[in-house]
Amino acid sequence: MSAVLAPIMLFIPGNSFLHRLHPLTKLAWIVSIMLFAFFMRNPLVLAIVTLVGICLVWLSRTWRSYKQSMRVLLPVVCALIFFQFVAPAYPRPWNPVVPLGPLTIYQEGVYSGLVFALMITAAATVALVGVMTTHPGDLFASLRRLGVPYTLNFMILNTLQLIPILQREFNIVLNAQRARGMKATGIGALVPSMVPVFAGAIERVQQLSMSLESRAFGSSGKKTSLREISARPIDYVLTSLAVLFLAGTIYYVIRFGTPDWSKQIHWPPAFAIALFFSAIVGFLALAGSFVLQFRHQ
Amino acid sequence: MQDDIIVVEHLTYQYLGTDRPALKDINLRIKRGEYVALLGRTGAGKTTLCLSLNGIVPHMTMGEFSGRVLVDGVGTLDKPVREMAKKVGMVFDNPEYQLSQMTVREEVALGLENLGVPREEMLRRIAEVLRIVELDGLDDRSPLALSGGQQQRLAIAAALAMYPEILVLDEPTSNLDPLGKREVFRVARQLNKERGMTIIIAEHEVEVMALHADRIVALHEGEIVLNGTPHDVFREVETLDRIGVRVPQVTQLAYELDHQYGKWGGSYPVTVEEALQALQSHIGGY
Repeated sequence: MSAVLAPIMLFIPGNSFLHRLHPLTKLAWIVSIMLFAFFMRNPLVLAIVTLVGICLVWLSRTWRSYKQSMRVLLPVVCALIFFQFVAPAYPRPWNPVVPLGPLTIYQEGVYSGLVFALMITAAATVALVGVMTTHPGDLFASLRRLGVPYTLNFMILNTLQLIPILQREFNIVLNAQRARGMKATGIGALVPSMVPVFAGAIERVQQLSMSLESRAFGSSGKKTSLREISARPIDYVLTSLAVLFLAGTIYYVIRFGTPDWSKQIHWPPAFAIALFFSAIVGFLALAGSFVLQFRHQ
Repeated sequence: MQDDIIVVEHLTYQYLGTDRPALKDINLRIKRGEYVALLGRTGAGKTTLCLSLNGIVPHMTMGEFSGRVLVDGVGTLDKPVREMAKKVGMVFDNPEYQLSQMTVREEVALGLENLGVPREEMLRRIAEVLRIVELDGLDDRSPLALSGGQQQRLAIAAALAMYPEILVLDEPTSNLDPLGKREVFRVARQLNKERGMTIIIAEHEVEVMALHADRIVALHEGEIVLNGTPHDVFREVETLDRIGVRVPQVTQLAYELDHQYGKWGGSYPVTVEEALQALQSHIGGY
């Protein structure tokens, strides 16, 4: 059954500066920034990176899609903060900030929670900007130019496409269950519908693989490409800058170590408690709203 | 014979984990440019036979294979499916499951990219096949935003772009509405009549097959029960009924008139036009 729906793709067509950048330039920057974020375990630095990312989102006019995608991520971030508070990923000794019932909130916990949360947010923001402004076909063609094996390339891009397709199938199955008077609300409804969705996915993928083989997929030898992406001077300049940036980061870390302020910052107890409870409330509210979405369909 | 583009000899295939063969000792010869319809109940072996024509059976399925299938002199066992793809185009029954690209144009180009066709030639072929299946102008549309009939025509276009000599269609209209069905049948007939393409199509729409096909092959439980022109095959009403294959309504009508009232001489019609002519001589005077 074919639905007359446009797919919910991650790619948002547009004509911003970012859209017009070469896919590999964007990829170079995403990799550099992600590694930078990983090395700089510092909330201030990470906050700046996140802000820059958000500016790029605004520049490329992809705010709405960005918001939607980040909503999925936020419960994860909240859970991370919570767990870091409870068990900081730092070597002891820990400096206590304030006792909270059976737990104690530690300075390192707050620091580490913030760092991880911001790391994920920064990385996700930057990655999303790249994905939202790059047509999958262009990304595909440029990765191939780099020498990424054809089949691996294809797998990654088709996985991205399969996600909205599976979402749709899932909804269809849920509606069918509902029509048969089966439990259709809450978590109990999700599990039985997974079997038909996955069975359908397997059948779909089987027929797709036959269809692809029947069109000479996986042939050895030279392959040509329909899409042409040309590199402009600015693409070369920006890619070089990304490489320099990465080199600079590595040099800094080797020379000075990661800027770890976990011992220096003394968090006010009020702030620590507020953050702790915000994380809990945030997680419950967002995770809860997902479950509610299923109820009201 | 050089005329035979497909030769199937003693083909037997049993899928792994099943207790009876899907195909039993199939012997079949198909001439270049023939339009062959495969009829049979679900499970009769139509799909397995179709898939064996480009090597998907046995290369991509698990089971026991014996006999041989020659496509233009080349054995399907000797070449991988992606090689056979240059001679045999394949269209499957679920339109949406065959499509994977972001736009119509890219979907058609996929096979050409795999073959290493130069870009200018690619663009030319894409325009050509989209015109044949009447999807021109929809180049930038997402395949998921097309109707079922359009999607199936896109799948045909994608296969056609590779310039195969043979097009195999496995129940291409079973997931389509009447309009979609009509579109697919029109394209198949056009390819056969105007371009001499060999068409092998597994279908249930017997009235259309009676009209378009040069030959009908009726399968039952993995064996070929009938193999001949539409007239020869559809005359065997009782046999076809036993194996679960419908006959065209006009044929059924002639059969009933013949057997219930003894009021039919001569051969049974398989199309409405033939029925009109036959009835004129029987009823006369209108």
